[in-house]
Parts: sequence; C-alpha cells; structure tokens
Amino acid sequence: MREVTGRWTLRQAVAVTPGLLTLLVLFVLPLLELLRQSWSQPISRFGLETTLHADAIHYREALALAGPVLGRSVVMAALATGLCLLIGFPLAWWIVRYGGMWRPLLTGLVVTPLFLNALVRAIAWSSLLADRGPLLQLLQRSGLVPMLEVIGLLQDGRLLNTSAALLAGLTYCGLPFLVLPLVASLSTIPLELLEAAADLQAGPMRSFRLVILPLALPGLISGCLLTFIPALGDVVNAQVLGGPSDRMVGNLLQNLVLVQQRFNTGAALAMVLLLIALAALLLEGRAPRNGQL
Amino acid sequence: MRSHFGRRSFLCLGAGAATAAVLPGLLAACSGSRDDQLSISNWPLYIDPSRPGHPGTVERFERASGIRVTYSEDQNDSATFFAKIRPELAAGRAIPQDIFITPYWLASRLIGLGWLEELPVSQIPNAARLVPQLQRPSWDPSGRFSLPWQSGIAGIAYNREVTGRDLTGIEDLYAPDLRGRVGFLTEMRDTMGLLMLAQGEDPGNPTMARAESAFRRLEKAKAAGQIRAFTGNNYQSDLLAGNFAACMAWSGDVAQLAQDNPKLQFIVPSSGGILWADVMVVPKRSPHLREATAWMNFVYDPSEAARITEEVQYISPVQGVQAILSAHQDTAALARNPLVFPDASMRNKLHTFGPMSESEEIAFEERFAAVSQA
Repeated sequence: MREVTGRWTLRQAVAVTPGLLTLLVLFVLPLLELLRQSWSQPISRFGLETTLHADAIHYREALALAGPVLGRSVVMAALATGLCLLIGFPLAWWIVRYGGMWRPLLTGLVVTPLFLNALVRAIAWSSLLADRGPLLQLLQRSGLVPMLEVIGLLQDGRLLNTSAALLAGLTYCGLPFLVLPLVASLSTIPLELLEAAADLQAGPMRSFRLVILPLALPGLISGCLLTFIPALGDVVNAQVLGGPSDRMVGNLLQNLVLVQQRFNTGAALAMVLLLIALAALLLEGRAPRNGQL
Repeated sequence: MRSHFGRRSFLCLGAGAATAAVLPGLLAACSGSRDDQLSISNWPLYIDPSRPGHPGTVERFERASGIRVTYSEDQNDSATFFAKIRPELAAGRAIPQDIFITPYWLASRLIGLGWLEELPVSQIPNAARLVPQLQRPSWDPSGRFSLPWQSGIAGIAYNREVTGRDLTGIEDLYAPDLRGRVGFLTEMRDTMGLLMLAQGEDPGNPTMARAESAFRRLEKAKAAGQIRAFTGNNYQSDLLAGNFAACMAWSGDVAQLAQDNPKLQFIVPSSGGILWADVMVVPKRSPHLREATAWMNFVYDPSEAARITEEVQYISPVQGVQAILSAHQDTAALARNPLVFPDASMRNKLHTFGPMSESEEIAFEERFAAVSQA
C-alpha cells in the first residue's frame, strides 16, 4: 500500500481500525493482564486484589511443576509436526501436480476435518481406537499385536489412552494446517523449472533438493509452525486419547487455573508457553527465504 | 435411552413455555421488576425430567407456583464453575444463577468467603422433613446457607463381562489382571477418600500425613501403568465401551446405566465408601431469593422428592420418600436398595471426606494434580 500512495489515507485508516482495535482489546490487553498476574501475589486466596511482586516466584513454581510436562509437550508437538510433514508433503505435491481440475475439491477435503469441533474429532477417534473398536479388532485378527506392542503402538494390548494415540490425534489435527500452505507454495513452482532441471540431468532427488524444496520453503515453514504451535498447547487430544502419563502442558495449565485456582502460577506458565511459541516464530523469521537454501 | 428422550422433550416444552412467556416477560422488563423468575443450574440427569404426558419437576413447580424457571443442566465440573463465578462474586456482583447445585465442600468454601445468601429457612416449612444429619451438617454448621439436593456414594463400578469375576474392594483396582483398564476419578476427595480408607486411614480427618500411604500407592499404580485414565463424569462412556473393566464411580450414575446394561455392577468397597452430598445454594445478591425459597420448599415435598429419587436413584435428603416408593409395586425394589436408602449396615461402611485447612487443601490438590495431571 505504501508503495502506491506514499502515505496513509483516511480510508486506509478506517479499514484498519477494527482489526487493530480487536487486537488491542482481545489480545494485547489480556496479554498485559496475564503478564501482571504472573508478577503479582494475591492478598487472599480467592480474592481479586493482588499486589505486584518483583519476584519471579510464579515462574519458578511454573517451571518446577511443568518441567517434565513441558519437555514432553515440545517433543510430542515436534513429532506430530514431523509426521505431518511425512504425510503432508507428498500429499500436497500430489494434489498440486496431479490434482488438475480436482485440486480445489482435494484441498477442500483436506480441510474438512476442521469443520468438526476438536473435541468431537477426538471423541470420534476414541471410539475408533476403543478396546472393542474396529481398529483393534482388525489388528488382533491380523496377529500383528505382539509386534505393535514392541514398537509402542500398542500399550498393554490397547490403542486408546496411549502416547501413540495422542500422537495420532495431534497429527490428524495438524495435517490441514500443514497441507494448505504447502499447496499454496508448491503451486507457484512453474513446471518448466522441473523440466529444465531434468534437461540438465538432475535426477528426481536432486531436483527435489535443489528446486522444489527451496521454492516450497516458505509454505513449508509456516505450515510447520501452524502445526507445531497449536499441538504444543493441546488440551483435548491428551485428555481424550492420551494415557495418564501423556498429559500435555495445556492440561496442566487448565488444572492450575480451573482446579487448583492458582491463577498466578497459571499466568506464569502461560507466559512461558508464549515465549516458546515466540521463539519458534523468531526461528522462522531467521529461516532462509524463497529460493535460498 | 429414556433419559435422552426425556431431555429432548423437556427442551421442546421449555421452548414452548418460553414463547408463551414472552409477553409477560416484556411487560415485567418494562416495569423494571424481574419477579416470578428463577434461574437454576444443575448437573445433567439429576432431576425428574418432563416427557410427553409427564410434566417433570420443573414444570410441576412452574404450574404450582406461577414462577417461570430457567433450568440449565450446565454443571459439569464444580472447580471450573467456581473459577467462572469467582471474579463476579469477589467483585460483589450478582451472577445469572439464582440457585446452583454444588458439592458440599465447595458450599463450605463459598460460605467461608461470604458469597452466599442466607436462606430464610423459617419460610421453607418442608425443610423440617430433612433427615436430621443434614439439617446442620458439618459443612454448614448453622444450616442457614445451604440445603441438601441429593447425596451419593463414591465406590467401584465394574463390567462383569470384562472383568470375568466379581470385585470386592480397592485392592481389585490394583490387581494385575486389570492392568491398564482401571479408571480413577479426577474428583480428588472421592479418589483420595476411597484410597485412604483402603489404607486403613480415616478420610473424615484428612491430613497429608494420614494420606501419605494412599498417595504412595496411587503414584506407584500410575507409574506401573495400572491406571488407564483419570476421568470426571465421562467414566460412564469408558465403562459402557468396555475400555474400563473397573473404575471409581458414583452410585446413582451406575444405577441409571445398569438399566440399559445389566452387566454393570456398583459396589461399596470392603474398606468403605465415600458418602458425599450436593447442596442447593443461592449466590449473594440474587434478586430471586423469594422464588428460590419457594423452589426449595417444593422439592422437599415428599411426593416430589420421591419422583426425583425414582429418576436419579441417588440418596434423597427427605424423610418419607422410602415409604412412598415402597407403596408402589414398580418402585418397591428401589425402596429396598441400600445404595438409595442406606440401612444401618450400609451407613457403617460410608465415610465423609472431612473439612481441611486451607494449607492442607492446597497440599492435597497439588500432590493429586502431580499424579493425575502430569
């Protein structure tokens, strides 16, 4: 916009105001309140009055409580993002390369799960994975159970309430967020470039590494972030699909605020989580741009 | 599914009632008065619902009193509900609910905070029909800030088809053959109370020292993979789906579920069960204390109370319900059920999780969360 007019017009200001106001009221102000809470001490356990404290006690508490859970959440979110990549990249490539006139429909199908509420999706998965559910019965008949038990897909003969089920849920939820930006990114690659690469004797691997990957990178990175950050804050999948030792930091946060009523510790933990997400965003900012790898 | 049908038809009736009431409602709003209205917030499936040809508790009350009731089954988790209403009540503002049904321990906390209206018990003549133990209970020693709704028992539910054997106590939940198929409750007082009893400790006087062995046992069981999940009300679906072979559960729920699935059993563990109570309270600054009083008097009428018991199968706080139910052929069996009408030998097996100091409560919740949430 600036390149066109050189300065802001009234019309632009009017157009941007609702968005800025929404951000201010619904994001910046609550965030500041959260920050204040994380540095405050309540005067009474359930009262509203708090006093500011220059002591990071709530952060120390939050880190002590969340330490192992936080580590597990980061690992789980990273694993889910990796799985999404493994599944999503070929899928996105296939849609772009061979989807043809069906491309909008195929992309739409990828997004369909998002029409369902996250809780409903998790519950649907839980009946699929249940002890008397179709999937486990199929596996039992196939005789694969002992092998799956060894690689950790099954736990004590069950699919539901395991780390693997949690990972599956996180991957399922993240997949559309990875595929969509990838499809957008991949579809900007001119096919002539691939033909040129082939003409210059580049094999499929080489042209993937030197042509497709660098050009898809912006979509790839934003897709990974869009998968990783929500997975990091997951509550529902861990609760419905995970076992008692698969709680994520979101569950702990919910418990701190809603059950234990430790609002200040919860606020500190939320700030820590925000910092991790910010760090991930900063890494993205430093990542190579289009075509530079 | 009788209950689902009942709830849906109730919604239809509610919608009809709402339409019929729009005009007087508007008039009332214009005159600035909101009289003759009452907003009640209760747990799901915890009342006699309206069905075609059968007006439920709420509808009968509306007809008898002329008071328009907004009845919501939106209580799901008492701690979360408290977190929701805390900012309003702490700031001295009214909340939309005129009556909500809440566990005794939360009522005790709200009384301590001064966030409840004092009930004009003298204007609730039927309160005299309450069983004596509930007239001045430990959580509300003056008996002026809460009145009981229903009581129930936390014990063990199991699916005979999945366990292949009958269970008798908490030890069964630790049994190797049920490994990974056992559910515990997220409700700390019920889980810890049952586990303390199993360790021979008295949950009536809970201290961290007394709960130490119960906590250790719980932590060990979790680390060993014995426990499949910690759940709230949703243990019911896991039990029905066969994911849980056995779990901690609440008596009335299992009685309702067993109507559709007779393989489900509920037992009070040999070491004892936890007796709890849910109570009705009126939050401070509710403008409808008079209407709330009328409601409380209405539901303590023994015939009304009997209809609720017949539906929910929990322990009624009202005397005379057992006699009413045993007089009818189709409810006579219910009247003999010791889980609904505990006899002396059942009473001896039931214990209440006692009050705790603030620091003990924090310590309990922290350690329990470290097992159930980490």
